[in-house]
Amino acid sequence: MPLDYPIHEKTLANGLRVVVSPDTSVPNVTVNLWVNVGSRHESPGRTGFAHLFEHLMFQGSRNVASGEHFARLMAEGGRLNATTWFDRTNYFETVPRGAYELALWMEADRHGHLLDAVNQENLDNQRDVVKEEKRQRYDNVPYGHALIETYAAVFPPEHPYHHPTIGSMEDLDAASVEDVHAFFRRFYGPNNTVLTLVGDLTPEEGFAAAERYFGPLPASAEPPRGNVDQLGPLTEPVRVERVEDVPNDRLHVAFRMPVDNTEEYFAASLALDVIGGLGTSRLVQRLVRREQVANAVQAHSMGFVDGVSLGFIVLDIADGQDPDEVESRAVEELERFAAEGPTAVEMESALAQAERSWLHALASQEERADAISQHVLLHDDLQFINTYLDRLTAITAAQVQAAAERWLQPHSRAVVAHLAEAEEEAA
Amino acid sequence: MNARPDVIPPQPWAFPEPTRHVLGNGISLVAYDIPGQYVVSVRTVLPLPLSAEPREVEGIAAITSRLLDEGTARHTSEEFAELLERKGIALGAGMTDSGLSVDLDVPKRRLSEALDLLRQTLADPVFPQAEVTRHLKTRLAEIEQERAMAPHRAAREFIATFFDGSDRASRPSAGTAESVSAITREAIVDFHRRLIGPQGMTVVIAGDLSGLDVGALADEQLGGWQSQAQERVEGSAEPPRRSPEARRIVLVDRPGSVQSELSVGCAGPDRRVEGGWAAYPVLAFVLGGSPSARVDAVLREEKGYTYGIRSGFRPRRRGGLFLTTGSVRADSTVESVRLLLEILESGREGFAEDEVRAGVDFISKTAPGRFATADAVADEAATLALDGLTTEFTTGNLTAMQDLDSDALVRAYSRWADGEWTVVVVGDASLYAEQLKELGRGDVTVVPN
Repeated sequence: MPLDYPIHEKTLANGLRVVVSPDTSVPNVTVNLWVNVGSRHESPGRTGFAHLFEHLMFQGSRNVASGEHFARLMAEGGRLNATTWFDRTNYFETVPRGAYELALWMEADRHGHLLDAVNQENLDNQRDVVKEEKRQRYDNVPYGHALIETYAAVFPPEHPYHHPTIGSMEDLDAASVEDVHAFFRRFYGPNNTVLTLVGDLTPEEGFAAAERYFGPLPASAEPPRGNVDQLGPLTEPVRVERVEDVPNDRLHVAFRMPVDNTEEYFAASLALDVIGGLGTSRLVQRLVRREQVANAVQAHSMGFVDGVSLGFIVLDIADGQDPDEVESRAVEELERFAAEGPTAVEMESALAQAERSWLHALASQEERADAISQHVLLHDDLQFINTYLDRLTAITAAQVQAAAERWLQPHSRAVVAHLAEAEEEAA
Repeated sequence: MNARPDVIPPQPWAFPEPTRHVLGNGISLVAYDIPGQYVVSVRTVLPLPLSAEPREVEGIAAITSRLLDEGTARHTSEEFAELLERKGIALGAGMTDSGLSVDLDVPKRRLSEALDLLRQTLADPVFPQAEVTRHLKTRLAEIEQERAMAPHRAAREFIATFFDGSDRASRPSAGTAESVSAITREAIVDFHRRLIGPQGMTVVIAGDLSGLDVGALADEQLGGWQSQAQERVEGSAEPPRRSPEARRIVLVDRPGSVQSELSVGCAGPDRRVEGGWAAYPVLAFVLGGSPSARVDAVLREEKGYTYGIRSGFRPRRRGGLFLTTGSVRADSTVESVRLLLEILESGREGFAEDEVRAGVDFISKTAPGRFATADAVADEAATLALDGLTTEFTTGNLTAMQDLDSDALVRAYSRWADGEWTVVVVGDASLYAEQLKELGRGDVTVVPN
C-alpha cells in the first residue's frame, strides 16, 4: 500500500534543511528539530555530555528565561520535550497553529544563542537532575544496567556505541562551563540540523517562517565527520555475568547488525522478529508456550548509522529453570533459523505486524515529524515515511535467511546474564 | 533577532461526535470516523466491579482476561496467536477497578476479520489447562517483578495503607501470590460464564471509517453473541473505605537504596464530584504536572533532588485518589518529603492568575492534539464508558474549565487536601525513619520490601 504524505523540502542559505508536511486534520503544528550530535560523538572521558547539554537547552537563552521554554509553550497548549540518543539529539513541540511562530522563535533563540544564558548554577543544577535521571532509570531498577552492559559487550572499546547516552557521572562531574561552550560551537548550528514542520500550514508558510527565525543564524557548526565503517559480526561469543538482587534470571542475547536503512538491516530485523519478536516467534512458541522454561521472550532491533546496528533478545527465565539450558535451546533455534530461514507464514506475520506498527506510528503528527527528521538528517532520505513499507515488503525470505546466517549466528552472540542471588546470599 | 511573535488563540474545540448503534444482543456501539487514521482502534469494555471476585481467588478477573485469546472453541492458543499476527492485529485485555477491557488495533482493511476474532475471544474461550497453568505462573513471576520495582512496590504499599484492609481496593487488582495460587481452571470457567457477556458492554470503534458500514459490520460479527447465564453485578454506591490509620508514613525498607521512591496522597474525587470535575486536571497540572509546576520548580529545578515528580487525580467509579509520585536522591529524602507536603498544601492558600490560566490553557488547548489519533479517541471513550459516561463529559469539562479562577480551584482542592497525608517511602529505612517521625506527619512504620 503506497503512502502519500505530502513532503516539501528546502535548504536555507545557512545550511538548515527544512521539511514541511501539511496536514490539516488537526489545527496544530509540530515543530521537530534533529541535531546531528549524540553520544556517538563523545570521546572517552567526556561521556554523557550530549545529554547533559540537551537539559541545558531548557535553562534559557539570549531572549528566553530559564524554564520559560517549557512554561510558555505549555501555557499556549504545547506538548514538548527533547531526547538524546546515540545518533542524535531531538527537540520537539506540538502547538496550536497560532503559536507555531512563537515555538520557532524560541527554538531559534536557543539553537542560535544558548551560550548567553549558560552559567555555573544552571550547569550544577542540571547535572544533579541528570544524576537522578540515571539513578531512576538505571541504578534503582532491577536489571537496570543490562542494556549498558550489552552495548559494552557488543561494541569494542572506543567504538561510538560502546558507551551509553547517559554516560559516566565522573565525566559529568568534570564538565565545565567552558566545555559546554565548546560543545555548542562545535555541534550546534543550522548547518548540522534538520527542521521538520508537520501540521496545519502550507509549505510557503513553513519555509517563510523557518527563514524568518532561523535564516539569520550563521552556519556555525563544524562539518560533521563521516560515519565509521561497517563492523562485522562478533567472531566469538562474549559473556558477561552479574549476580544480583533480581527476581529471576534474565539473559540479554545480543548481536551486531548491519547499519540502518539498508535492505540487509531490514532483513536482519525481520529475522529477529521471527526468532523472538513476534507473539508467535520461534522462541516464544518453544520456550514460553510449549516448554514453559521462560516467562517471556522479546526481541528488539535498534538501527544505527555509525557502521553497525544492534539486535537483542531478552529471555526471562522461569523460576527453577537453568539459564544455561534455556540459552542452549535458544541457540538451537538460532542455528535452525540461520539454516532454514522463515516460513511463508512467518514472513506474512512479520510484515503484517510491521505494517500495523508503522501505520500506527505515522498516525500521529508528532511521530511522523520525528521519522521525517530522522531520515533526512541521518540518511538524506526525504521520502522514507512513504516508501518504507514498500521497501520492507520487497524483502524476500531468502534475504532474511541470508541476514540471519551472517548476523544472528550463536557464535556471534554476546550474552549479558543477570542471575538472581541464591536465597542465603540475599538474606 | 526578530521580535517575539504574538500568539493567535485557537478556536474552541469539541471532542469528535460519534455515531451510536445498539447491536442485536444489546451491545452499545460507539463509532468515531477520523479521516486519515488508517489503523482502527477497537475498545470493548464491560463494567464489572472487582468485588465480584470471590475473596479467596482475587485476581481471577485479570487472569480470565489474559486467557481470552489463549484457545477458543475453534482454535488452539497457538493457532489463534498466528491468526492475530498474520492479520496485523494487536490484541490486549485487562482488568481495572471499573471493569474488563479488551482492546485491539488493526489496519482498516482487516477490521471485519478482527471483529470476528474479537467475538471468539469474548464468547468462546475454552481456557485450556496448560494455558491456565502458564498464566498463573506468569502472574506469580510478575508479582515478584513488581515487588522489585520501586514505583510498583510503592503503589502496592500505598493502597494497603490508605484503604481499609476490609476493602477490595486495599489489595492489588490482579491478585496476590496467595490468591492467585488458589485460582483453578474451574473457577475461571465459572467466572467467565457468569460475568462476561454482552449485557452492559460497550464497543468503541475509532479510525478512518469511510466506505464502511460499521454498524452492520459490528452487528454481523458481535451482535449474535448471546449469554444466557450472564449476571450483572452492581458496584458499591459508596467510595472505598479509608483506613482509620491512613495518616502516617510507611517506609518500605531497602537497605542501600540510592533513591527513595515517594508516593504521597489523600482521597480524591470521582468524575461526578459536586462542583464538577473540570478543576482537577488543572490542579494536578499546576501543582505537579510539568517541570514548571510548583513541585518540580522546587524539587527539580531549584534543588536538583529529582528527575521529576508528578501529581494526578485518579478517579474510580466511586471516590478516587489524589496521588503525587516520583523518586528523589536518597540523602534528600526527609527534606523532600517535608517540602513536598508543604508545596501540596500551598494549593489550599490560592493560585496566581497566570498559574490558573496556564493550567486551563494547557489542558484545553492541548486537547485537539491529545485526541488526534484513533487510539487516543477510543481510549478516552472506553474509559468513560466504563464509568457510564460519554465523551460529552470531555467536551463539557473543557468548556467548564474556561470559567475557573483561583477561588474555584481552592474550593475544589480543599474538599480533598485536608492535610491528612498517607506517605509511602521505598528506600533505606535505617537512615531516615527517625527524622521522618520528627516531621509530625503521623506514625512512622517500617515494613520489609
